[in-house]
Amino acid sequence: MKSNLTRRAVLRSSSATIALPFLESFGFRRFASAAEAVAPPKRMIWLGMGFGVTADKWFPERDDTGADYKFPSVLKPLEKHRKDLSFVQNLMHQYSQDGHSGSTFWLTGANRYAIPGQSFHNTISVDQLAAETLGKDTRFTSIQLCAKGAGSDGHGPGLSLAWNRRGKPVSGLDTPVAAFHRLFSDESTPLEERQARLNEQRSVLDTVMSDAKSVGKKISKSDNDKLDEYFQSVREIEVRLSKEEQWLDVEKKTPQNPVKEPGESLEGYEEMGVMADLMVAAMQVDATRVFTYRMPVDSMISSLGAEMSAHTMSHYSHGERRDVSEMRDIHNAKFLTAFIDKMKDSREADGSSLFDNTTVTMGTNLFSVHTLKNCPTLVTGGGSGFTLGRHIHADNKTPLCNLWLFQLKGSGIEADSFGDSTGTLEELSIA
Amino acid sequence: MQRVKNSLPCISVLVFVAAVSCSCLAAEEKVTDTAEAKSAAMPGKHFAIFDKYCLECHDELTEKGEVNLEDLSFTISENIQSAESWQKILNALNSGEMPPEDEKQLTNAEKTEFLDDLSNQMVMARSILSDSGGEITLRRLNRREYANTLEELLGVEPDVSSLPDDQASSEFDTMGASLFFSSDQLEGYLETARRAVELSLKPPGTGGSKKKEPEISRIEPEDFYNPHYLALASNLLDRAQRVYSWRLDGKGDEGAKKFGFLDGWQAGRQLNSFDKNYPQVAKYLAAPENKTGAALMVTIKDGFTQIKLPQVMWNQEGKHTIRVRAGAYEDDPNRFHYLEFSRRDGQNAERLGWRKVTGSLRKPEIIEFEIDHPPGKNLAYWVQKRTHEDRGDKNLWTVYREENGYGTPWGIWVDWAEIEMAAATPNPAAGEILFEKPEGMKDSDYYQSVIKKFAGRAFRGAEVDPEFLEKLYARFNALRSEGDNPNAALTQTLAIVLSSPSFLYFAESVEGAGNTLTDRELAVRLSYFLWSSPPDGKLLALAKEGKLSDPEVLKEQTDRLLSSPKADHFVRGFVYQWLDMHRLGMFSFAGRQFPDFDNAVRDSAREEIYETVHHAMREQLPLQTLLKSDFVVVNDVLADYYGLNKVKGHEFRRVEVPKGSPRGGLLGTVAVAAMGSDGVRSSPVERGAWVLRHLINNPPPPAPPNVPQLSRLEDEILSARELQKAHQEQPQCAQCHLKIDPIGYGMENFDASGRWRDIEVVITGKKKAIRTEFPVEPAGKLSDGTEFDSYLALRDVVADRTEDFAMGLTEALIAYGLGRPFGFSDQELAHQMVEKTAEEGYSIPQIIHSLVQSKTFQSR
Repeated sequence: MKSNLTRRAVLRSSSATIALPFLESFGFRRFASAAEAVAPPKRMIWLGMGFGVTADKWFPERDDTGADYKFPSVLKPLEKHRKDLSFVQNLMHQYSQDGHSGSTFWLTGANRYAIPGQSFHNTISVDQLAAETLGKDTRFTSIQLCAKGAGSDGHGPGLSLAWNRRGKPVSGLDTPVAAFHRLFSDESTPLEERQARLNEQRSVLDTVMSDAKSVGKKISKSDNDKLDEYFQSVREIEVRLSKEEQWLDVEKKTPQNPVKEPGESLEGYEEMGVMADLMVAAMQVDATRVFTYRMPVDSMISSLGAEMSAHTMSHYSHGERRDVSEMRDIHNAKFLTAFIDKMKDSREADGSSLFDNTTVTMGTNLFSVHTLKNCPTLVTGGGSGFTLGRHIHADNKTPLCNLWLFQLKGSGIEADSFGDSTGTLEELSIA
Repeated sequence: MQRVKNSLPCISVLVFVAAVSCSCLAAEEKVTDTAEAKSAAMPGKHFAIFDKYCLECHDELTEKGEVNLEDLSFTISENIQSAESWQKILNALNSGEMPPEDEKQLTNAEKTEFLDDLSNQMVMARSILSDSGGEITLRRLNRREYANTLEELLGVEPDVSSLPDDQASSEFDTMGASLFFSSDQLEGYLETARRAVELSLKPPGTGGSKKKEPEISRIEPEDFYNPHYLALASNLLDRAQRVYSWRLDGKGDEGAKKFGFLDGWQAGRQLNSFDKNYPQVAKYLAAPENKTGAALMVTIKDGFTQIKLPQVMWNQEGKHTIRVRAGAYEDDPNRFHYLEFSRRDGQNAERLGWRKVTGSLRKPEIIEFEIDHPPGKNLAYWVQKRTHEDRGDKNLWTVYREENGYGTPWGIWVDWAEIEMAAATPNPAAGEILFEKPEGMKDSDYYQSVIKKFAGRAFRGAEVDPEFLEKLYARFNALRSEGDNPNAALTQTLAIVLSSPSFLYFAESVEGAGNTLTDRELAVRLSYFLWSSPPDGKLLALAKEGKLSDPEVLKEQTDRLLSSPKADHFVRGFVYQWLDMHRLGMFSFAGRQFPDFDNAVRDSAREEIYETVHHAMREQLPLQTLLKSDFVVVNDVLADYYGLNKVKGHEFRRVEVPKGSPRGGLLGTVAVAAMGSDGVRSSPVERGAWVLRHLINNPPPPAPPNVPQLSRLEDEILSARELQKAHQEQPQCAQCHLKIDPIGYGMENFDASGRWRDIEVVITGKKKAIRTEFPVEPAGKLSDGTEFDSYLALRDVVADRTEDFAMGLTEALIAYGLGRPFGFSDQELAHQMVEKTAEEGYSIPQIIHSLVQSKTFQSR
């Protein structure tokens, strides 16, 4: 039996007696031995709601700004956290034109028509920009969560909320099961085998690349521009493989309250709750510091008993449709409330809570029906130093990208501008 | 050329306006000039609006908000900046932001005219600015094509659910520029291909559960349902008995507990439940036929009587047969006489089809239903009665119970159901991959040639790079030496082939004469156009001989492709996107409101469109037939729905309709009516816009964002027609809706589910349904003034515009077939195609021929 004592087993057994650093990141490990306490990492989360909100109910009254505003009744469950969240009203993307796309440009602010000769263009999303810095020292650079069948949820084109440096869609994990396995399921295969598999994957990439190069020689220059997407994808996988290799001998950590493997059939509102649990657990073990979640709308309302589609609900808000619309708002609020509760309950090494170090934004590019102005925006979490407990009404035409820029800077990311930003929301934040 | 910005700041506005008008006049004189056709401009007269309402703040001197309208080019399409400036003007007017509230406002007439011009020119400008100039972006296989191609090569339908559905990203899923590629996708391709190759190469019927002989498993439904319903009945009786005992005991919460209830409230409800549910169960248990079979009963609490056949396992692929011995309750309405066949994988159900039971209880018949079970999936097959989506069936049960005292009519009695599993047969595609090893050939040489041959086929006849092949061989050998068996090593290796660019992309070589495609490339373009699948051996052979580009040969091959069953991929893929058919699945129809519009009708309605197009193509019918005809192409389910008699059998076939029938032509189909609704009410707007977009090729600009919402009519109960009048109150809306809505009025005789009506019934009220009735007023007119007074007259008016319809179809075919948006540079081609096919009445195959024969189709 003694011969079975591997390096990992030692690590595992030692954790029983010696308090290993709670965070598993390299960054943290590197400094853990240093005398001074290390500040917990900054984290950023975006929750996208697709089709907008109930137009005249979701935001506080326009002029009722400041700290003592009347809390919107359709968000009642959230009121207990009112000191820890801010509504920001009147933000917009000047270029957004498509009345059915709540997510396509939400985190990018791009102008789809910006490039002559192309009918669709997008740019990097704020989460991916943040991940370039915040994701350096974690196993996963960022995690994108989605829901199945979100095509009819008013999110618009895209595979998740995220768009990469080249403005191409980044795909996401579309079930809690998939997210669970990516984040937590530990490989039972031995180290050598996993190393061999990485090498195998590299050799697969090497093989397809040789074909890609030979194709590249045959085709026109502009076709080569398109083929570059393929090259880029191969490169991305290579980067990911290097990172995996770096983490190969580090076991995936189990969070404070171990998460169970979610059921396959979870759908709608329940699914959202599980996704929130998975995000909290992933933050507890510092698996990643950047999340986006493109939330379900259609399956959410149907899981709550609605007999209409999300599109129907979004379009003709009166009568029964309006009731469903408000029910959707209430449940989004409930979801966020529970998420905040859990983040507040989760302690960091220095005694602060996850909530204190995280920036969460819930919103969408679509306000209501086809309205793209006044993007619903709710900011919570202490991660970027945004003033909480306020209802803020921005000046007309304030770019939503100003908020993104503020959040980037507040989370320690160097950036002079983002999208069509004209500044940060600093002045609003202090107000 | 319409650039009107003047370089001298002191020139007065008057001169400026003059300059604009001049350039417009000049432009009008030479409309044939192609350069002119390629620009989108605001008519110069609108400068007067700027002058009157805007320049006070937005002139060159003041430039309030950094907006200077004085220097703005009226040629919107001049460049992106110009388009953006006009977009801002459009947005500001639409949202009511400008002119500011306290300033002079445009009159409604002025605003309507200005917005009408601007929104239409804006669409044109966007289209011009995004025109790729005829260039076709390198395109990859979209998800449909990828699946079909794998199936051709491997004989196995792959599970592509992990790959993005490309239909959502642009007008057509063939458009290269919108077909993205990501790293996750590359991994998805590798994984999907691995799984598919593995299933393809596995020996038939592995797993030991499948025998050489056909194997029959029969289900006697009474074995399960008699004890099941007996238990339900005794449970209901027991509860009722306890309630009576509790009552005699003197009621009360404490007493309720004594008799097994939570509290008095719960106890009090039991009798109601008994009254509702017991009569049907009692009737069921008393019915003599249920001793030896099962009536297809619906209950609210214990589900439906439905027959689940033994699960067919992942390795039991093949064409199996389901048989059901059943008889109909002849007094029940026709709709209840159909069996629904479906298969389920956990939560997901896939409906496979419907068969009408014509036998009676006394003389049951045996119904056969063939299934094609895919390898790689464990699926259970079910037989039941026709279903509604969501809670429809349960809600309807309550309605029927109120009528007849027991619930949904049973409709059918089933004696037994069985599944006959066909004997295992080898997969021919696997035989082609692992061709017979020539005698004396070394193992390593054999597998090298297997890999080489497969790569050649996967790359559709293109040369395979020798270095790539070497790497594949090396991969295979490495896996073998690691201990993989040949099939496992081959699976990994072939999956790499199926994830490499030569397979995934349509690489068209720059070598060769000018822009002309090589014959091989032409074969590929043609077969993906008409089959969404790779070229077959014959097409590639002709290409190899250099014969395919010969116009006669090309025509022959086009005809051959069109008459192949694989052309169904084209019809489904193209028509679904061309006619925006995703709307048919977008809304839920409540069973209570539309008892007849069930899943069978909805699915058949979708098929009707495809089958009608198939029919028109097969018979080379004039295109006008799709707009107006004296026949429909339906199955028995739809014939029932349309009230056409004498249609027996589930196959779609041509059926003549009575004279004066509203059916015949796309406008009269259930599918189009339902797509033009929200699942509750008809929508004149959706229907009108659909006709403008897809039938008469005069698409309205997209709905503008940020228009202030109309709430005045929110609480009033109005007819669909009256509701639209709100659109006329705001110029932002009126400019387009004046064109859109009246066409929709003409279709108001169809309710949301496509049934004919003379009276529109609006149901409102939360607790108690309130019915309000409005007589349908179908009269309206087109934007050019053509009037119609009825639906049939509207259909005639639309049918008179067959040339416009042909133009729209032609543009769509160019975009779909070439894999890029229809651009301004394609207009000449489109005109030629329409002209050329006018004589034969623009039959679809003719239009396709004229596209395939064009130089554009044969060029990169």
